[in-house]
Amino acid sequence: MKIGSEQVRHVARLAELAVSDDEFPRLVEQMGRIVEYVAQLDELPAGPERSAFLAGPESVRLREDEVRPTPLARTPAQMAPEFVDGLFVVPRLGAMEEA
Amino acid sequence: MSAVAHIARAVNAGRTSALSAAHEAARLLRKADADGLNATLHWSEDLLRGEAARVDAHVGAGHAMLPLAGVPVAIKDNIVTTEQPTTCGSRILEGYVSPFNATAIERLRAAGAMVAAKSNLDEFAMGSSTEHSAFGRVRNPIDHERVPGGSSGGSAALVAAGVVPAALGSETGGSVRQPASFCGVVGVKPSYGRVSRFGLVAFGSSLDCISVFGERVDDAARVLAAISGHDPHDATTADRPPLELDGPRRDLRGLIFGLPKEYFPADLDPGVRAGVERTIGAIRDLGGSVKDVTLPHSKYAVPTYYIIAPAEAAANLARYDGVRYGVRRVGPEGDVRALYRATRGQGFGAEVRRRILIGTYVLSSGYYEAYYGKAQQVRAAIARDFQLAFTAQGADFLLTPTTPTPAFRAGEKTDDPVAMYLADIFVCAVSLAGLPAMSLPVGRSAGLPVGAQIIAPMFEEARMLGVASALEAVVPAAGEVR
Repeated sequence: MKIGSEQVRHVARLAELAVSDDEFPRLVEQMGRIVEYVAQLDELPAGPERSAFLAGPESVRLREDEVRPTPLARTPAQMAPEFVDGLFVVPRLGAMEEA
Repeated sequence: MSAVAHIARAVNAGRTSALSAAHEAARLLRKADADGLNATLHWSEDLLRGEAARVDAHVGAGHAMLPLAGVPVAIKDNIVTTEQPTTCGSRILEGYVSPFNATAIERLRAAGAMVAAKSNLDEFAMGSSTEHSAFGRVRNPIDHERVPGGSSGGSAALVAAGVVPAALGSETGGSVRQPASFCGVVGVKPSYGRVSRFGLVAFGSSLDCISVFGERVDDAARVLAAISGHDPHDATTADRPPLELDGPRRDLRGLIFGLPKEYFPADLDPGVRAGVERTIGAIRDLGGSVKDVTLPHSKYAVPTYYIIAPAEAAANLARYDGVRYGVRRVGPEGDVRALYRATRGQGFGAEVRRRILIGTYVLSSGYYEAYYGKAQQVRAAIARDFQLAFTAQGADFLLTPTTPTPAFRAGEKTDDPVAMYLADIFVCAVSLAGLPAMSLPVGRSAGLPVGAQIIAPMFEEARMLGVASALEAVVPAAGEVR
């Protein structure tokens, strides 16, 4: 599979990443080489019978899917720079709100 | 006696103080900065004095002995601390200070260690040379024209330069073992789940492991033991008690070291080969034996890693958007998406942007199964290869080179990302499988350190560290191998 400039532009939009015109040709070339390199996995047969990998020790794998409270390590009030009346106080998104 | 054991014993016995150790650490940090290593991002003598006062008060009150009393430890700057900034080597997090400490930091302090400095790294731990830090490249203390390896190059350089006896790094695909090899120090990656990731800034969550550097095996082992164990803040830590060390072994009788043939290619650097052969000789001299084994999917480890790690990175780094995290850059188009794009476009460096784009591509509609789905299957095959080496093929441990060459020159691989990725060819399969492994310095080739990698079955760190200390006693780390 080859990756072209239109695909790189599309992926940059998906990733919410500005890419300047100056760096674009080099980025397309480098991504092309990386994608070509990782595509060597195509040599290996694939199929639904081949299981995927699960990270971590056995003891932490796939607990029962139960709805239960998930305690936070720290409360939002401890984590937030400002937390008032149950709300995070954040800087104003000036550019959006002026529009 | 190792430097860590020596300092802790002297401070616990009252023969010296943590304050005295802090002053010495500050003197050495100043010297490292003056020498141009560029290995530190944040440190101050005031903070070191504060760390020392806490330890000296504990010792003075006659409380229980602290296993790391007064030991200065450098911390890779992607492990969060409340008293210093945590930048991950990125402009996007410039000035960021975490509201909490990582579990590993809390445990180090509870053991009496002092946070000496936050160390430089490849941006967000993405790199193999510590040339991708927004705050400049780190120099290898043995040869300033060469890289220290990466991404934990700052921590490796500080240990190699004798500034601190031990340091924390992090591994996603070999980022402690590879720089340990390039700098001639010990680097230990624990099993995935042995050390809490709480407070380690996420890169590839199914791969990330806080890992340890030491001047000698015992230095790294003591620090690893202190930070290990189950943590309710990280659901992927194993439900096991902290690591208990076996103590050094004097012989290797009855132990079989597998030599995976895929890790000894014809074009392996002759100096690296000679270093591993010297280690094989030492294994035999100590009563152990070696046998050839095979890990047939080894050649697919790097491509598998460079699908899975960027995919996880693309998801984890979505939070740096100028709203949730990150130094905000207002977009020229005046809407919130322009803000995201400008913040991320200007805040991230070239390698991080490349990996976010690759990760987004392999997860995007129409490509997910071909890339990510396939890579997850190959990852399972790689993990099975190791399992068979330790069972059907009869190896107790595996022995390989840590890297295909000694440290390369700065700038040599920065224009070719695939060439840079291949510097990790012998270390990233272990990360995919989640196994413990370490790099042991086994000599020098034309003055440059070479490392041998010992790979162990899951959760066999104590035995691995025991055999490494037996080898360390007989393999001269500083001697020329040819």
